[in-house]
Amino acid sequence: MMSTQHSIAAEKFQEDKKQASWHNETLWFVREKRDRMSKSLPEWEELRTIAEKIKLHSVSNLDIYLEEFSKNAEANGVIVHWAKDAKEHNDIVYDILSKHKVKKLVKSKSMLTEECHLNPYLIDKGIDVIESDLGERILQLNHTAPSHIVMPAIHMTRQEVGELFEEKLHTEKGNSDPTYLTRAARASLRNDFLTADAGMTGVNFAVASTGEIVVCTNEGNADMGTSLPDLHIAVMGMEKVIPDHEALSVYTRLLARSATGQPVTTYTSHFKKPKKGGEMHVIIVDNGRSEILTNNEHIKSLNCIRCGACMNTCPVYRRSGGYSYTYFIPGPIGINLGMLKDPHKYTDNVSACSLCYSCNNVCPVKIDLADQIYEWRQNLDSLGAASSSKKMISLGMQFLFTHPTLFNTSLKFTSLINWVPRSMAFGLKEWEEGRSLPKFAKESFTSMWKKGKIKTIKKDEQ
Amino acid sequence: MSSKEYILQNIKRNIKTRLDKPKMDVLGIQFDHLLSQFVDICKAVGGDARILEKQEDVNILIKELYSQAQSIGSNLPEITISTFNPDDLDDPHLLNGTDLAIIKGEVGVAENGCIWIPQNVVHKALYFISEYLVIILDRTKLVNNMHEAYRTIESNDSGFGIFISGPSKTADIEQALVVGAHGPKGLTVILT
Repeated sequence: MMSTQHSIAAEKFQEDKKQASWHNETLWFVREKRDRMSKSLPEWEELRTIAEKIKLHSVSNLDIYLEEFSKNAEANGVIVHWAKDAKEHNDIVYDILSKHKVKKLVKSKSMLTEECHLNPYLIDKGIDVIESDLGERILQLNHTAPSHIVMPAIHMTRQEVGELFEEKLHTEKGNSDPTYLTRAARASLRNDFLTADAGMTGVNFAVASTGEIVVCTNEGNADMGTSLPDLHIAVMGMEKVIPDHEALSVYTRLLARSATGQPVTTYTSHFKKPKKGGEMHVIIVDNGRSEILTNNEHIKSLNCIRCGACMNTCPVYRRSGGYSYTYFIPGPIGINLGMLKDPHKYTDNVSACSLCYSCNNVCPVKIDLADQIYEWRQNLDSLGAASSSKKMISLGMQFLFTHPTLFNTSLKFTSLINWVPRSMAFGLKEWEEGRSLPKFAKESFTSMWKKGKIKTIKKDEQ
Repeated sequence: MSSKEYILQNIKRNIKTRLDKPKMDVLGIQFDHLLSQFVDICKAVGGDARILEKQEDVNILIKELYSQAQSIGSNLPEITISTFNPDDLDDPHLLNGTDLAIIKGEVGVAENGCIWIPQNVVHKALYFISEYLVIILDRTKLVNNMHEAYRTIESNDSGFGIFISGPSKTADIEQALVVGAHGPKGLTVILT
């Protein structure tokens, strides 16, 4: 089969031309805001260089920093857990929740829990799980998944959100004003914050030297979720650890500027000790990350600080939407993370790249995203995932280009193709789709040159 | 073998090369006029900032700015207009319904409007649950950028600390900016 799942889904996304063009333009607008923010700092490139080096250093000393972090966090009174995989992560969470007889859990956006499929696992066990980031809450009420890691509901229109809230939160019929809808969600979620037994957050940065975890949000949901109940569970991918505050100062300057074009997120919260009389748990999760350490070509994907800048700049993501990717993280970083997770299962996504390299240029931690996608493509054959018709075309071209006589003979007859129906000319329907054939000239350049039809222009005539 | 040992052993086995710690001594952007830059950026991030004149009374100023506020929580001795001391409450849930909270900040960052607040109240919920927030900040405590800010707060030992820049906000519905998601719908920084 020629068409990838991505291209089929992208075609579907493009059916609603108006919405597709809104999606493209809006994300480009965010990319432009990011550009303005980066240009407002003379040291921007210096920051990117240092940010990359700090991550490469911390990842290559991950054992040392994780031990330092956990030792300091424990000294602060935090309970630290280690999870090999998603299952162990989920079991640890449930174990803590059941010990505290938690009935309702409020969550602040954590893509890691999405990776581990935590919500359905907990809901199955009878726990009321409430996503508190507005975008995530909208999707939870809608029973759908995020389509962007920073702007999870970017694919939905305000009318769709209005209709959803009408049904779930009993808002006014036909009212799709964003302020009105946000206020309705605020009221409903405030009730959840006040009645929750525990709060869960992700971790943007774990500081080894102090044992703190740092969480960045604009809405303040991580803070509302953790300052009312006595129990706070934070979950982190192990690559989130950084050495110290000096390193943290670099990342807090890059994250929001790259993500949304803001100078910083509204809230940058440093959780160091449990609430008085409460408990704070941190779960350090591997789930395949330590295997990436052996992979020289892809190790830099562990630099990622999840800003989403690569998605906003990607011409393919902007025009195909997050749902066209088969891995739960879309866009350039998602293509790579998916392949690292399971190259057979997520191969489809590697076609969702035009190798324009824009992602490399905006990435605040200089992940070589496009180079990595290129590498995956080179290895498709060994994965048994290369497309057979693409391979045939490539072989055909190779044969033609390495046999000059045959090449010249076929050139003589190329103009005939102008008169032949396209499907006959190539016989490969899928190959033709999305490719327009140039109009072939009646005579080739070589033949015109030989007949003296090409006039050389002398320098003084120019 | 515990999961911790298993994971750490796996990491040790898989690391091929260890890279040195890079130099992180970034100077960072500097501003000619810290105070005016800070006031401007506070407005740009959706909040407001006021410089308290010598003869001005902070209580009168706040009262003018938030004339509608009924329930005003503050543990600061100089704030006489507060209607209750949030530290007297046993349970943070009781803070729900606070119209205005008045708190103190320690460091202000001119590049992004961040104000460092180490937990200096009993219930940190106060910073987020109130409808509006006023942060009082000494104007001599302004720094240029986050590098300088983190050097200043390095020795902080409170269990919780936070940089706040502007009021709570979201743009999750069609990227339309709405101020006041879960936390305060407005924020004024008063520079004393």
